[in-house]
Amino acid sequence: MVSWTLNIKYDENNRYHRFLRTVVITVISLTIFIMVWWMISVIADIPAIPTPLKTWNALVDLYLHGDMVTSISLGQYIFSSLSSFLKGVLLAFVISVPLGLVLGYSKFMRDFSNPVIELLRPIAPIAWAPIFVLALGSSLGAIMVVFIGVFFPLLTNVIFGVRKIDPNWIDAAKTLGASQMKIFYKVMIPAATPYIMNGVKVGLGIGWMCIVAAELYRFDGALPGIGFYLAQQAQNFNWPSAYAGLVVIGILGLLTIGVADYIHRILSKRMGMDV
Amino acid sequence: MTEERSEEYTRTGPSISCTDTHICVNNLTKIFKKDKSETVVLKDFSLDIRKGELITIVGPSGCGKTTILRLIAGLIEPTSGAVLINGKPCTAPGADRGMVFQDFALFPWRSVRKNVEFGLEIAGIPKEERRERAERYIIRAGLEKFIDSRVHELSGGMKQRVGIARALVGHPDVILMDEPFGSLDAQTRNIMQTQLLKILDKTDQTIVFITHSVDEAVFLSDRIVVLTKRPASIKEIIDIPWPRPRDRADPGFTALRKKILAELEEENVMEN
Ligand SMILES: Nc1ncnc2c1ncn2[C@@H]1O[C@H](COP(=O)(O)OP(=O)(O)OP(=O)(O)O)[C@@H](O)[C@H]1O
Ligand SMILES: [Mg+2]
Repeated sequence: MVSWTLNIKYDENNRYHRFLRTVVITVISLTIFIMVWWMISVIADIPAIPTPLKTWNALVDLYLHGDMVTSISLGQYIFSSLSSFLKGVLLAFVISVPLGLVLGYSKFMRDFSNPVIELLRPIAPIAWAPIFVLALGSSLGAIMVVFIGVFFPLLTNVIFGVRKIDPNWIDAAKTLGASQMKIFYKVMIPAATPYIMNGVKVGLGIGWMCIVAAELYRFDGALPGIGFYLAQQAQNFNWPSAYAGLVVIGILGLLTIGVADYIHRILSKRMGMDV
Repeated sequence: MTEERSEEYTRTGPSISCTDTHICVNNLTKIFKKDKSETVVLKDFSLDIRKGELITIVGPSGCGKTTILRLIAGLIEPTSGAVLINGKPCTAPGADRGMVFQDFALFPWRSVRKNVEFGLEIAGIPKEERRERAERYIIRAGLEKFIDSRVHELSGGMKQRVGIARALVGHPDVILMDEPFGSLDAQTRNIMQTQLLKILDKTDQTIVFITHSVDEAVFLSDRIVVLTKRPASIKEIIDIPWPRPRDRADPGFTALRKKILAELEEENVMEN
């Protein structure tokens, strides 16, 4: 009989060990999740909770043959969702960041805009969905819902980032001859960048929830997204396919936030800040 | 630019005698108002600072030293009175007055090299020349091994040498230092004092240096200004014509230190 022991000690400073640890933990965690799901579906024994296997089969089917009813492929659904999502995020970024920099810098502008911001912020972005989609069409409507979802968390983070800037950095720049404009470009923007990225990270999560909500209201001829597919399948009581839609949404969300998290970490490190 | 001036001009050797007024602090009053309370930090404060001297200001905590320095830098405005530089009133900060901060105030998103280059970038100096000049000062500060390091990788003493190099590289006429070594441990502090004199050697800048440490003041200065408690007024100005480097164990050194300490003690006792 051959007997052997795996004699490895976990070393926090070894990046392969760290990577392996993450992989092992992730696999175990997902396995437990799928097993619990399986158990619930077997015990409940109702069609609305299909087993993971049935869901998987529906997902493979969607991947191979697309949507039988609309003859739209999975790729097209994903493309449509991602494209509205990214446009909404970009629009929010282009508006929130400059606005946040100004509001963070100027107390007057902050006090001036605060009542409006505080009035609009508590409204759930999803509440805007029917209004935007019906008023602007499925495509632009979805973009605008994402925009609202990303706009506020991003704005709040940018303002926070600017206000956290060490006043000594500004004084140092002044004594090195910097004008207000140069201080803005060379001190405020780089100093606020990690906070901006944190806002993007938070915003992406919320934006992703918004896109699916907005797609439920599709009524015109624009290429529909994955949320539409999910809603259609659920309305036809086609549960495994509806769950397959959920899985796709979950994975896409995970990937987008993963990318943002990665960029945030790299930037914070470059800025010499600990995450 | 007359950065490296006459041969006999050294800060490690005997101090030069300088008489021209460079900075004239003229009847400055500074009152901080908040709601109904007023803090009178300076009242009709005047001081002439000579061209090329290293002048230190010591005084009880909270007496207004930082306020004086920030007024000279142009970072805050006086309630009344003026700061004249070469006879001209100054109101805004400018690259002619460099500043070194107690907590360094380095830009953490920039490397050592890029921190030192900051002022040169602002001045629009071409890239090649910028690099070359920054390198010269980084070498002078003994940081050539860390030239591409990020700021958070450096020790406190190294950080402050970056701060000094950053302030010096643009050849400002005046360098303002607000307790630059205040956050360093005693040993590093002594080393930094000697290094500062070396870095400043053969430059003709006027240096206004604020410190809590009487020992540091006696070690470095051409003149020491002793302030009273708030509102700050000048208690005494002491000329120190001794050559540098100075020996801390020298009887003259110790005696002078004792005398200044006793004067500061008086101010503190009066407060209680
Ligand atoms: N921006 C400000 N607003 C209100 N009061 C201020 C302000 N700046 C300074 N003061 C007050 O002015 C007084 C002098 O401050 P200053 O920082 O000039 O003293 P200092 O001599 O540098 O003290 P330390 O030795 O502790 O550094 C203090 O009582 C301080 O509270
Ligand atoms: Mg002070």
